[in-house]
Amino acid sequence: MAKAALVDFSKCTGCRGCQVACKSWNDHLAEETQNEGTYENPPELSASTWTRIEFYEFGNNGEVQWYFRKAQCMHCTNASCEAVCPSGAISHQGGVVIIDQDICIGCGYCVMACPFDAVHNEPPRGTARKCWFCMDRVSNGYEPACVSTCPTGAIKFGERAELLTIAHARVNSLKSNGHPNARLYGENEMGGLQWLYIIDGRPSEFGLPESPQLATHALASQWVGGIITAGVLAAIPFWLLFRRRRELEESSRVGGE
Amino acid sequence: MITWGGPIWLYLWLAGMAGGAYFAAFLVDRFMGGTQKALLRLATYVGLPFAVIGVLLLIVDLGVPIRFWHLLVQFDVVSAMSLGTWILFVWVGAAVIMGILWNADRFISIEGARPAFALITNVLSWIAFIFAALLMTYTGVLLASSNQPLWAGTVLLPCLFVASAVSTGVAAVLITAIVRRDETISRRTIARLTEADAVVIVIEMAILISFAIWLGVSAMGGAAEGLKILTIGALAPAFWVGVVLLALLIPLGLELRSWGKEIRGRATWLAVVVPSVCVLLGGLTLRAVIVVGGQM
Repeated sequence: MAKAALVDFSKCTGCRGCQVACKSWNDHLAEETQNEGTYENPPELSASTWTRIEFYEFGNNGEVQWYFRKAQCMHCTNASCEAVCPSGAISHQGGVVIIDQDICIGCGYCVMACPFDAVHNEPPRGTARKCWFCMDRVSNGYEPACVSTCPTGAIKFGERAELLTIAHARVNSLKSNGHPNARLYGENEMGGLQWLYIIDGRPSEFGLPESPQLATHALASQWVGGIITAGVLAAIPFWLLFRRRRELEESSRVGGE
Repeated sequence: MITWGGPIWLYLWLAGMAGGAYFAAFLVDRFMGGTQKALLRLATYVGLPFAVIGVLLLIVDLGVPIRFWHLLVQFDVVSAMSLGTWILFVWVGAAVIMGILWNADRFISIEGARPAFALITNVLSWIAFIFAALLMTYTGVLLASSNQPLWAGTVLLPCLFVASAVSTGVAAVLITAIVRRDETISRRTIARLTEADAVVIVIEMAILISFAIWLGVSAMGGAAEGLKILTIGALAPAFWVGVVLLALLIPLGLELRSWGKEIRGRATWLAVVVPSVCVLLGGLTLRAVIVVGGQM
């Protein structure tokens, strides 16, 4: 049974305890940043910031709504990073996507392929780095650091099937209590995510792709398109110009004889 | 944050040019009944250092360059980078062996082995041709099989890069032939190659327009914004001047001006060298704006 986490945004207060717990457990230094007029900080995920709380605000019936979204690697079942990795460094271990730091060459292809912008490979390490679901804690029976520190119970950790049941019940509850747009994100996206979100609105309002796709989903048509173009160029102009010229030269030679 | 910077777009330009030069020269030689071997050799010698320099740039750009050999112990057809590494490896290998066999008689007597050498180079030239087409395509697929909307919002990026690779490859061969005053490549062949490049540019323009329209209506979130970055955003000056003018309109105009004419003397510069230089700079700018724009 695969472990997963469920985030209920309606319970998140944006305290960012999860950010600090992640940094602390994984021995990541703080990053030097500049105040850009918001408490949302650091400004983006990086090789040493594996989770962060993103702030979203939008109008709803004349009222300003505030939401917080915990961003990190979503641990996709069909993971783009794993599909494009040229060195075989990325693999699944019990539903969790892991980057083998001894094999990764730091090419950055997984960074380009991730639909959630959750993988990064900045210096000085050079290798691609991201949330690894605190595998060292989980394999010893503990919750991931971010889950264990959440003071409001906004993050639940457990078996994915059980969390889905809880999530559906919570979504139904929200819908019947004045939140008609409440929905579950992650049940089927990318073949199923290990991080499940209960959101109250469209995914794009929370910085999530509406329908994320595997980076290699159009691979065959991309190769075929390139090869067809090469074929068209071989025929027009090369065949037309050079074959015709050869025939003209040959016919003029025969005529001259 | 830009993860793939200068070394990557330089690499894509060089690798595409290497493949395009060989692809075009092979076709000319075959369609002319095997009479253009000098052109094929020139294209191979031009492309080989481009490909090798490109590979070195790619290695330097890795986060952990010393681990580049990990690419050579892995073969994954789904990963464009893994497949591309092997495509490049095979093309460079075939080109190096052909180069050695073409020049073997300078160092040893090959009189008895000449038919065998000819057979081997013939087989290798076909292998190199197929892998040159794959090499050009791979430079586009590498970017397109990602989640960056500008690259993945359509399936036309490989088509665009193939057309640009052939155009830049032809330009590199033409410049080298003119600068070296290579008498083994006839003036007629040079004139027809510039005409061929004009047609390639027209096809490239058609692909670029289709690419832009498709991006504008793509269902992938962010694709239309990617198009705006190229056409009216931060990269617009580089796109309109570097790509539209330098890679397409200026060389097309100059090449059409000399269409059907024999090119000799001073006219060579305006009819061949200037458009070819524009094509090379434009091809480089195309890679740069696409690679950088996709990460903005």
